[in-house]
Amino acid sequence: MTTTTATPRGFGYRHPRLRLAGLLTAPMAWLVVVYLGSLAALFLTAFWTVDDFTGQLVKTFTMKNFQQVFTNSAYLGSMLRTVSIALLVTLFCLVLALPLAFFMARVARPSWRPLLVAMVLTPLWASYLVKVYAWRAMLQPETGVLAWFLDPLGLSSPGYGYLGIVITLTYLWLPYMILPIYAGLTRLPNSMLDASSDLGATGGRTFRSVVMPIIFPSIVAGSIFTFSLSLGDYITAQIVGGKVTMLGNIVQTTYVTNLPFAAAVATVPVVIVLLYLLAVRRSGALDNL
Amino acid sequence: MGESVWAMRGSGYCSAIAPSAVHAMMQGVRYTMSEPSVAIRLRGLTRRFGDVVAVDGVDLDVFDGEFLTLLGPSGSGKTTVLRMIAGFERPDDGTIELAGVDVTRVPPYARDVNTVFQDYALFPHMSVLKNIEYGLKVKKVPAAERKTRALAALESVRLGAYGDRAPSQLSGGQRQRVALARALVNRPKVLLLDEPLGALDLKLREQMQVELKEIQREVGITFVFVTHDQDEALTMSDRIAVFNEGNIAQLGTPTEVYEHPATAFVAGFVGTSNLLEGAAAQAVLGRPGTWSVRPEKIRVIEADARPGDGEHAVPGTVREVVYVGMSTRFVVDLAVGGSLMAVQQNSEMSTDLGHLRGQRIQLVWDARHEYQVAD
Amino acid sequence: MHTKRLLTFAATGTAAALMLAACSGGSSSTESSAAAAGSTAASGAASAAASEAPASEAPAAPGGEAYAGPVGDGEGEVNILAWPGYVENGSTDPAVDWVSGFEEETGCKVNLKTFGTSDEAVKLMQGGGWDVVSASGDATLRLIYGDTVQPVNTDLVPSYADIFEDLKMQKFNSVNGVAYGIPHGRGANLIMWNTDKVTEPVDSWAATFEADSPYAGAVTAYDSPIFIADAAVYLMATQPELGITDPYSLDQTQFDAAMALLEQQKPLISEYWSDYTKAVQAFNSGTTAIGTSWQVIANLAAAEGGKIQSTKAKEGATGWSDTWMIAKDAKNINCAYKWVDHIASPETNAQVAEWFGEAPSNAKSCELTADKTFCETYHAGDAEYWTDVYYWNTPTATCIDGRTDTQCVPYSEWATAWSALRS
Repeated sequence: MTTTTATPRGFGYRHPRLRLAGLLTAPMAWLVVVYLGSLAALFLTAFWTVDDFTGQLVKTFTMKNFQQVFTNSAYLGSMLRTVSIALLVTLFCLVLALPLAFFMARVARPSWRPLLVAMVLTPLWASYLVKVYAWRAMLQPETGVLAWFLDPLGLSSPGYGYLGIVITLTYLWLPYMILPIYAGLTRLPNSMLDASSDLGATGGRTFRSVVMPIIFPSIVAGSIFTFSLSLGDYITAQIVGGKVTMLGNIVQTTYVTNLPFAAAVATVPVVIVLLYLLAVRRSGALDNL
Repeated sequence: MGESVWAMRGSGYCSAIAPSAVHAMMQGVRYTMSEPSVAIRLRGLTRRFGDVVAVDGVDLDVFDGEFLTLLGPSGSGKTTVLRMIAGFERPDDGTIELAGVDVTRVPPYARDVNTVFQDYALFPHMSVLKNIEYGLKVKKVPAAERKTRALAALESVRLGAYGDRAPSQLSGGQRQRVALARALVNRPKVLLLDEPLGALDLKLREQMQVELKEIQREVGITFVFVTHDQDEALTMSDRIAVFNEGNIAQLGTPTEVYEHPATAFVAGFVGTSNLLEGAAAQAVLGRPGTWSVRPEKIRVIEADARPGDGEHAVPGTVREVVYVGMSTRFVVDLAVGGSLMAVQQNSEMSTDLGHLRGQRIQLVWDARHEYQVAD
Repeated sequence: MHTKRLLTFAATGTAAALMLAACSGGSSSTESSAAAAGSTAASGAASAAASEAPASEAPAAPGGEAYAGPVGDGEGEVNILAWPGYVENGSTDPAVDWVSGFEEETGCKVNLKTFGTSDEAVKLMQGGGWDVVSASGDATLRLIYGDTVQPVNTDLVPSYADIFEDLKMQKFNSVNGVAYGIPHGRGANLIMWNTDKVTEPVDSWAATFEADSPYAGAVTAYDSPIFIADAAVYLMATQPELGITDPYSLDQTQFDAAMALLEQQKPLISEYWSDYTKAVQAFNSGTTAIGTSWQVIANLAAAEGGKIQSTKAKEGATGWSDTWMIAKDAKNINCAYKWVDHIASPETNAQVAEWFGEAPSNAKSCELTADKTFCETYHAGDAEYWTDVYYWNTPTATCIDGRTDTQCVPYSEWATAWSALRS
């Protein structure tokens, strides 16, 4: 074999694996060190304790924090409440997003779509706190905007509390549900709907048997956003939650004075999201993502 | 295989390919019937998209068991007519009858027709078998019967072993056949096919043309087939409706449409446009108007040879000679103006006829082969 | 404060994880000194009992030696951590500016960061890079024993001479007779009510704690573990048999009694507040009829036209007294001393107190306030008024009220108990 001569294409062209490695090293390092590293640190800290006097960390192994989290009925209740809020928010987002996304993707004129997408995105441009405070005003009992609408109907504003949190979080995360479903629906060919109808299926049946299964991965993608964002939220609970709190509020109350305990609490939503992702993966919904 | 999927009149068929005595019998039935019953009746069918009139008052009767092709260029309204028959589009005007029942306002799922789509529209989340079962499942056919019929349908399009595959694992031709099985398994009165072969390569397309025709003969149901490919239309159809600008320009058998094009448009769209017009017609035929002669009816002879009896002759200069294997194509500029194409079979020892380029020759044809067409 | 919240919002779990990286690094040297510090606190609070305190070897004061001085030329800048409203350079209100003059005079450019809670202040100080901090009583001891701040040489701070005597050398700003900061100002946590909803004047916390309160469902409370002390203050008056003498020094029995009172209060609550803008809105709208409040909330609510009244309850109250402290590793020590002297000087102290709504710490400030009755309103020099105000302090396992025969509940457990109450 003769000696190879240098090609003008350069090193990376002849060594695609090295080129790939070069491209991915930095982001992978970032991911591993910062992301997984911080998660590992979180988990590790949950097994430590704090000095009773200075509040400084004491690095001796103890299960005390997890015991406290999982035996105290108050914390277990908070866990259940947080998960139920996240599930309800996801459900509400889904119920609202499906018709909206369907209208945007399949009913509205194609030339309107960019405008509609922009409108869906507008709330994301405003500050999180501004939006939550706006909802505080909306939900205010007796004098709020919701009360103004509902009172003539003989209903009253949900006020500050569980439902207030669910409503506000639904508002906050709705775009994250609409967009993936919209994207999924735009990729659904018209002929697919025609074919179902042609084979004898009514609109409802087509929606159930054809549209839903095809956009299911999009719904799952959206639900991962709404579920995990709701699970980790605590400011909304603080502002419109009245007395009701979520797991994040426990972390917020304790993370400075009792970091290991806060870490143990913070591990819970991480595990719940992981379980959720596992369940989703088993359903096969991630295969097409 | 025991029972047939699309045994329309109580007869069973074993193979999609093998013709059987029953075909002949059925064909006999069809062609000897003095007054075939009408499967689809369109009257004054009109559809507008904004300012554009896509379909402009179409009247059409499609007979039971016939293979009718809607042929035309894109935008001629043929697909819109098909979609209105299926129910995907509402007509702005006019009526649609299926087997004598007005279905103009009936939604697609309540019409006894099925469609094969251009992109097949197979459901990606269902296996091949589930796709085929879908229509039966929707109509609440019991599971056992559903399975039997779906398997039989799959067998009949020669995909018996593919039931568990996902549509994405099939080739284009296989998907096409699944789409066909999915439609036929419902035993519809009418099968609508919207350019179903458009996405296939030439070889496969020609093979599928033959198969489709055979399947249609076997099941004996009415096929309404949309295409812009004249060869396809001529190959497969019992009758062809040639569409132009939202209207039917001509309706007839392939022979009628090809040999006796009713208009210049039909003459041009079906086969090669070969027209003698105005002054040229006057000079050659002694009559005004627009006349069509098919290229294969025209012979090329020496400039000084004498034409036979009953033949028309016109002198010209060979502009182009194209060797196309089976035949050779000549483009000839006529001395009286205009040009004609002539096609000669290369049946004799083929010689390179390229030397004729630029030569003066004569074109002759039997006067019986010229037809006047509407302008 | 809002931006800060947003930063911590992103994802609670990950955020917490990221933060612990910062704190675990800084704590390595403090574990031994922390244990020793436990005893010094006890002896500082009640020196008579010092001999019985565990691990009683007398350590050097935490934070090393105070700056010997003299205060020389400034280093060009000073990095300040402060409560919002304590360091104003005219950007909030052009008329409110006590920074520009300081910068011109001393050449020390002020770099400011504000914080929303004492916990946040402690965390930021532990991260390093700051020269001075305005710390409340529930942060000061943590900073001192955490070896984060250094003793202050009061001789180098001329303004210190005029500070009210009852603010000097307190449990929360000194250890073993060594001063760790310059008092800034003080305030009591008030009971406040909306006069539309509460027609009778109120003078007792009973209306917020007792199960038969006529305002059930419209009561508010401060959403922080330190609020357990407010319950303890009420118990001092109503259940003297518990023997509480310092609401930040509760043994397990006393602590349980306070928590029981808070559980009893919970059904009365409409909302807890930790964000004072939310409290202003809740009081003004009438969503909240009565509850715990700060002077600044009363001022803002009144400014917005709310029908609000407030008073110090007869049982006494928690309160705060803030202290300017100097970081142990301050890089700009001269500028830091110039700043604490400036902020404690009569003129500046008067400005800050009026702007923020608190009693000034400098006795001479009272002649310089724009509102001549200001000091009277805020009881600046009224030593009597402050006798039943218990300034925020950090609860530790060693009882800071001087008891040595028992263990007190440390603040970390206050926090978990509070989070359980709120769950």
